[in-house]
Amino acid sequence: MASRIRVVLRPVKSIVVRFCPFESNVESTRTFLQCINHKRIQATNRNCEVSADVRHDGSEPLVDVMFADGERLIMKGANLTTAEMLTALGSRCNAKELKAEQKSKKNP
Amino acid sequence: MAVTEYIAPRPAVPERCLPAKRKAEEEEEEEYGYARLLRRQVEEVFRNNRMVAVCQYNSMPGEDMVLMRYYLRKHNIEVKFVLNEIIRPVLSQSRYKNLLPLFVSRNILLVSPETKAKEMLRVLKGVPQVNLLGALVDDTILSRQGVENFAKLPSLEASQGQTLGTLALLPSQTCSMLQHGAAHLTALLDGHIHQLQAGAGKTESPAGTEPAQSSGTQ
Repeated sequence: MASRIRVVLRPVKSIVVRFCPFESNVESTRTFLQCINHKRIQATNRNCEVSADVRHDGSEPLVDVMFADGERLIMKGANLTTAEMLTALGSRCNAKELKAEQKSKKNP
Repeated sequence: MAVTEYIAPRPAVPERCLPAKRKAEEEEEEEYGYARLLRRQVEEVFRNNRMVAVCQYNSMPGEDMVLMRYYLRKHNIEVKFVLNEIIRPVLSQSRYKNLLPLFVSRNILLVSPETKAKEMLRVLKGVPQVNLLGALVDDTILSRQGVENFAKLPSLEASQGQTLGTLALLPSQTCSMLQHGAAHLTALLDGHIHQLQAGAGKTESPAGTEPAQSSGTQ
């Protein structure tokens, strides 16, 4: 699944995945963490720090993405599927990549 | 006249279909045998090991995996890959039902007959792709925070020594406490005697000089 949804992590600075493994709504978040750690996605940006925050406080599963331009994306994984989270992240990354390319074309 | 028209009977089901069902049953029995073996292995793991840590396994390069296994083996900790469909029925029938929610997506088990939590945490700190979710230590289910607290505890021998020391402290003071009153009284009497002796000595010496003076004057 990770190979089908292409995510380019170049504009991403760090990803923190927070979840409580004893809850029952964490499956999609854990699968998201697994996909994000796939070598193909990791290869797009070696400097992106992916960390997992494992807690036991009944909190909701959360994915906190920090972009290089200061923007922040928070995805609450309790009612989302892995594919939805990956496509959301992928689409935002692609949009930022396009913006960056256009800027670099304008300013040679 | 349509009533007397010849209606050809439906062709019978070809024989190919029936043997195929039997083959599927045989395959199921074979899988059932292998699944039974795996389940037995998992039950054995839970029975023979004091510490079973459940970690999420995200894909990591082969060399890192080999290094991690090597460092853990040095502390007598084995790495076992588990399939959720095997382990879920085993856990649901055992008394570790509360571990069931952990077994979602890819997991590994770190098992050991000893409980070297500190060393395990140290090795896992260097491996970001393996996330500790929880552990079963001496029939107690611990969360990640619980494992960290468990690692900070002193060893069993040290805590036994500490308890013995605390328990022995009070009786060691009993003897001195019981003798304290009598010793205090003795000290006070000694001091009193010294005072009296010193006072008697002073009265004797002026009394000794007075008779000498009186005998001198006489």
